[in-house]
Amino acid sequence: MFKSASSLLVKSGVRNYSTTKAPLRVAITGASGQIGYQLLFRIASGEMLGKDQPIILQCLELPQALNALKGVSMELDDCAFPLLKGIVQTDDPNRAFAGADYALLVGAKPRSKGMERGQLLEANAQIFSAQGKALNNNANRDTLRVLVVGNPANTNALIAARNAPNIDPKRFTAMTRLDHNRGLAQLADKTGCGVTDIQKFCIWGNHSATQYPDITHTTIKGSPIKNYVDDAVWVKDNFIPTVQQRGAAIINARGASSAASAASAAIDHMRDWTFGTNGQWQSMGVYSDGSYGADKGLYFSFPVICKNGNYEIVQGLQLDAFSKDRFDVTRKELLSEMDAIKHLL
Amino acid sequence: MESATLRINNISGHLTTSGVRGGGQCPFSQKSTAPLACPEKAWSVINTSPHAKPNPIRVLVTGAAGQIAYSLVFMIASGQMFGPYQPVVLHLLDIPKMQEVLNGVVMELNDGAFPLLAGTVATTDVKTAFMGIQVCLMVGAFPRGPGMQRSDLLKMNANIFKEQGAALAKYAARGVKVLVVGNPANTNAYIACLAAKADLPSTNFSALTRLDQNRAVSMIAERVGVPVAKVKNVSIWGNHSLTQVPDVTNAVIQDFPEKGLTTPVLTAVNDNKWLEESFIPQVQNRGAAVIAARKLSSAASAANAIVGHMRDWVLGTKDGETVSMAVVSDGSYNIPKGLVFSFPVQCRAGEWSIVQGLKITPFIQLKLDATTKELQSEIDALPK
Repeated sequence: MFKSASSLLVKSGVRNYSTTKAPLRVAITGASGQIGYQLLFRIASGEMLGKDQPIILQCLELPQALNALKGVSMELDDCAFPLLKGIVQTDDPNRAFAGADYALLVGAKPRSKGMERGQLLEANAQIFSAQGKALNNNANRDTLRVLVVGNPANTNALIAARNAPNIDPKRFTAMTRLDHNRGLAQLADKTGCGVTDIQKFCIWGNHSATQYPDITHTTIKGSPIKNYVDDAVWVKDNFIPTVQQRGAAIINARGASSAASAASAAIDHMRDWTFGTNGQWQSMGVYSDGSYGADKGLYFSFPVICKNGNYEIVQGLQLDAFSKDRFDVTRKELLSEMDAIKHLL
Repeated sequence: MESATLRINNISGHLTTSGVRGGGQCPFSQKSTAPLACPEKAWSVINTSPHAKPNPIRVLVTGAAGQIAYSLVFMIASGQMFGPYQPVVLHLLDIPKMQEVLNGVVMELNDGAFPLLAGTVATTDVKTAFMGIQVCLMVGAFPRGPGMQRSDLLKMNANIFKEQGAALAKYAARGVKVLVVGNPANTNAYIACLAAKADLPSTNFSALTRLDQNRAVSMIAERVGVPVAKVKNVSIWGNHSLTQVPDVTNAVIQDFPEKGLTTPVLTAVNDNKWLEESFIPQVQNRGAAVIAARKLSSAASAANAIVGHMRDWVLGTKDGETVSMAVVSDGSYNIPKGLVFSFPVQCRAGEWSIVQGLKITPFIQLKLDATTKELQSEIDALPK
């Protein structure tokens, strides 16, 4: 019985590492940081792109972090990953993005003590405009998928995209999958159900404290969530703030920020974008086409369905008064962020 | 030994403690999860069918608030250890001082929204942690502090692993598969096994040398210039320490020099001096090299090796391929019975077996003697 278990797994691709696919190039910035450390090994093991897809990791770091990156690279070697066909370690974005099929832009300038929000936006604008240009000049424009994780993610995605005029702006996305997963966890906990029982949940807007986790369309095991929890006060005063402020709660508990769950969300985001969501909603910060009144050109989190290697914004949803209100708050915040760096675009 | 009835009651009784997520409607909640029917058979077959609704496997990670666990638990929750169709309940144990951090780990695991994670049991209580578990990953151990003698380290860890061995005997499923990672790994496994002797077969216990094997494979692959997946049957013998014996005598490279051909590593490398004077010390000292580069010890690669070791144990190794596991010696290759010693093994039907009849060169034999001696002296140094 166990022997057949092994062969079943070979057939399902779990144990089969012989493959004739050409390697895909996955670029990661801030690769020696906390999130990078959680991300690189899970990508190299085949979780993101499949157990039959060889990859080359192209790691970008600041010059002062190249030694630490060397140590991470040694550990990657020490895993003897069958799918890992090469590791590039560099502080040059042009090298890091050469031929890239995937780019996970994790590295960003963190907020230092006393730093104003405007300064943070400007500092990151420098980084992401350079990376946008490097992507434009070096990446594989026909296949490229970009996920911006480094904060402020939405605005950084906008900056990078604006500096990559030869790349379809739809190839740039910002991560709200972590917020989405956090929302699922809270709902699962409240209702006593599994995360896979929850459908049609979404995050609107900015990956920030103004994000709007929306359960007005959510179903549990196919029936409206109101049949499981019908408590507007809980939603407004507990659920929404908990999801919005979860990052801070993790820092308080762990003494460090949420690296592993962020890495997990990044993998989920890229994997679903590539392989599809099987008709289910996910949340992605994407180039707005004006849907629902989100200003065109903003990078705004919407409910999406992924299919055939693409994503599509779910259309035709009714937003109640409360939702419209929350939507507008986050929309305005994104507009003001864009305003603050407009002079650099 | 407790009666089967008492053990069943202990195992199902645990299900009333908080920890498994949610209330009545969760498919894996305490109300709907059937108690394990028979503890001897409680080591369920790993589910490989997308259509079945399997019971979750209970996996304990000790030292769960630490560095290795931080990489490890997410790999387990995402399905890397048991495959995409086998749900898992993670038991997470650490010391009271780490309670807050442990809570943070649970929060992040929940925030992973993993379809295969059926629940978590995070605790500082040994009984709760060990209750009903089927896999035990003993990552936590007493770390060596500045000025600490090796004998002190052995003594501190002897207490921990004696207590945990007793807990395994008392609370875990009888077929529980144990992997000791916390150092000194082999001797800690020996202690735990001894403490559980009356209740658990010694074949349940192992220590991790898979990391050393992966490192060795990677170095050979780089030296010869082939993909790592083509390098097979590199063995690590002995103690997970500086006396470990990386041995390529019986190792081969597939599809080398061209597809369809298999070449012994010794032939492909063609440089005994490099093997004896560079390769072996490099593998032995790799841990220190990673610390020097990262300024931290190798957590992620250790986690990856833990996943590989346990996955191969439960799902089986491919035909003709061997992996390295430190297991209780049955006298094979003249290694004294009872020592926890790394051997080349094959795994099938959830059991490991030492590969017999391999060639041992005089050079390797000397090294086997040295590592055996070291293991013997570690046991002799244990408090009586």
